[in-house]
Amino acid sequence: MERARRGDVVAYEELVRRYEEVAYRTAFLVCGDADEARDAAQEGFIRAWRALPSFKAGAEPRPWLLAIVANAARNRRRGSTRRAALGLRLAADPLSGGAAPSPEGSVLAGERRTALLQAVERLKPEDRLVIGLRWFVELDEAAMAAVLKVPRGTVKSRLSRAMRRLRDEVGSDV
Amino acid sequence: MSDRSGRVPDSEPDAMLEIQMAELARLVQFPETPEITPAVIDAIASGSRRITWSQPGLLRRGIALGVLATILVASAAGAVGIGIGAIQIKFADGTPLPTPVTSIRLRTLGREVSLEQADAAVAWPIIVPHDPVLGEPDAIYLNAIPSGGTVSFVWGPREGIPAAADGISLVVTEFRADIAPEAFEKMIDEGTTVEKVYVNGLPGWWIEGGTHAFFYRDQNGDMVDTSLRLVGSALIWDSGRLAIRVEGAPDLKTAMRVAGSLE
Repeated sequence: MERARRGDVVAYEELVRRYEEVAYRTAFLVCGDADEARDAAQEGFIRAWRALPSFKAGAEPRPWLLAIVANAARNRRRGSTRRAALGLRLAADPLSGGAAPSPEGSVLAGERRTALLQAVERLKPEDRLVIGLRWFVELDEAAMAAVLKVPRGTVKSRLSRAMRRLRDEVGSDV
Repeated sequence: MSDRSGRVPDSEPDAMLEIQMAELARLVQFPETPEITPAVIDAIASGSRRITWSQPGLLRRGIALGVLATILVASAAGAVGIGIGAIQIKFADGTPLPTPVTSIRLRTLGREVSLEQADAAVAWPIIVPHDPVLGEPDAIYLNAIPSGGTVSFVWGPREGIPAAADGISLVVTEFRADIAPEAFEKMIDEGTTVEKVYVNGLPGWWIEGGTHAFFYRDQNGDMVDTSLRLVGSALIWDSGRLAIRVEGAPDLKTAMRVAGSLE
């Protein structure tokens, strides 16, 4: 990061490569569209390059970068009419074979996961975002606070409320 | 813990739901992450906010096919070597062994740039080849690895220098050679000959025949393959801060001529 701050493009390229996936996924959760997320991530990284002089030396770059990318994604979301569900999918469970569950058990587990994901999709965008950032992008509190532009304590309460609403949404299905 | 209604109070985490979310998170699939870095760096290097998606040219496609072909690495066990500066040449103990692809990163020239973009991106003054026979390079590439970056000048077919299957006849590569703890290693097999030469007054090596690959060890000790040619000939020398190699020249005389044109 220090090299990038001094204007080293190659160092910044390494930084972008390291964070491009988490940035893209964060942007996708914010704006809900794959193409918009790509453009938002690119725009965010370009903005971040220009803002590097304001980056605090020694600080963790990930929350800072993700905050800028999330801002770009929010701006794109405002300009877009697409508000559909995220359309996330589930991969086949590679661990199901190891535990050797019964076929019925595997089917039930799959159905339970599908129901849970559908419940996440039905949540209001702000609840879906905080849950997605925490569980699907696995951001820590500092990064979540930066992305959501709220204090860390607020992250906790928002996540708690979102999880409560998710529990209400799934009911006894899971 | 739940209250009388069976609901979990806001202040307490719903442990079962968290377990299920963790399980779900393991299987959730996002859309595949697109290539973001090249467009970002292009925009930065050009000083423009405009984002462009570069289309891979014929040359780059040829390289991609070429580098995916076969990856060989000589057995490091018992290898002995010679070296100049940061470059070590190691003689393998027998035939090079196939290496799991996951253990090394695939070779790539990086992204195509202009000379001005390359110059803006690296910290050293780029030395440009001016060989009258080769003419201007057909493409210039910039790669982020190894540390400090790599700049490659690439020529397609030229008279007396036929192109390989990847469409490339000759490559001149420059990269930092003074960055500890990375050690650059040229691994060669027993079918390769190595001749010590002087390039512009600096000691170097002419490596000919057999199979050879060029690696460096990154900060984790992992081997990173930066070879462009597994076979053929290479002239490589260390100018102190910069390592330079010429790959694809049909003979030492041609390689030395190209090396002499660098300024």
